[in-house]
Amino acid sequence: MPIIDPIDLDSANDLGLTQTLESFEDLGEKDAIFPRLLGLVPGYAEAMWNAMAEAHREGGVDQKLKEIMRIQLARTAHDPYFAGLRSKKAIDAGLSEERIEAGCADFENDPQFTPAEKWALRYSYLMYRQPDQVDAAFYDEGKKHFTEAQIVELGGMIAIHYGMQVFMRTVQVGPDD
Amino acid sequence: MDNFRESPEFAESEKMALEFSELMQFSPESIDETFYERLRVHYTDAEIVELGVFIGFNVGYHTFFRTLDFYPMFLPDGRLVSQDESRRIYGNRPMSHRSVSNSPALDGTSGEAGLPG
Repeated sequence: MPIIDPIDLDSANDLGLTQTLESFEDLGEKDAIFPRLLGLVPGYAEAMWNAMAEAHREGGVDQKLKEIMRIQLARTAHDPYFAGLRSKKAIDAGLSEERIEAGCADFENDPQFTPAEKWALRYSYLMYRQPDQVDAAFYDEGKKHFTEAQIVELGGMIAIHYGMQVFMRTVQVGPDD
Repeated sequence: MDNFRESPEFAESEKMALEFSELMQFSPESIDETFYERLRVHYTDAEIVELGVFIGFNVGYHTFFRTLDFYPMFLPDGRLVSQDESRRIYGNRPMSHRSVSNSPALDGTSGEAGLPG
């Protein structure tokens, strides 16, 4: 069980979080622990999950690529909860576990990834490990593959998901909770 | 920032919140059940979640913004300045950038890790 108890589903629905809970089902987690935990601060639950979902599902970059990045980040954060979730939409679109694993391993030398995908995976990999390497030259390389809007989309997605993953790590929500 | 634990400026509850923030950024592995029990002496669970989400959001975004090379908008005397003027005055590495060197070694090694492969 998490160190902090989430609110129950009935309370979440009573607080008007029904749509948030339904939206969270895309990650295949019926218990919706994350939004119910944030339900302790109702305004946060809706706003934070909407921002995370928007960053992950919308925009101009392939959601399958962002799903690999999200899982890679959760592993960087040592968060088993978000690392164990999978976007139904991304899986339905053809993302396989093998490709997720490849994106979390030696993606630099993996021919299944395009140069653009490798740059994006490098972006999420380095952001919280070696941010000094994410410099002007790094962004110049990214601009060969992505528009500035797409780069900001990726950076924002990385930032908000990693931040919540670090928090979830500390409350120790396991894959079986 | 550097001496909040000993500073008389902060109440015990404030010191706990500052410690929460510091640990979340630099050593989240040390935030365990015992730490949360210490937080509960001063805060409700709802307040702890509020703090945790706020800190997580900031940990995530400040590292991203740092890579974009944003400069402080204010000078030490409080004057609002442009990015160009700030860069000219603060130099290549302003204090706010130096204050977070390499990102935390989240598992004790990742701060030194290079790219895979």
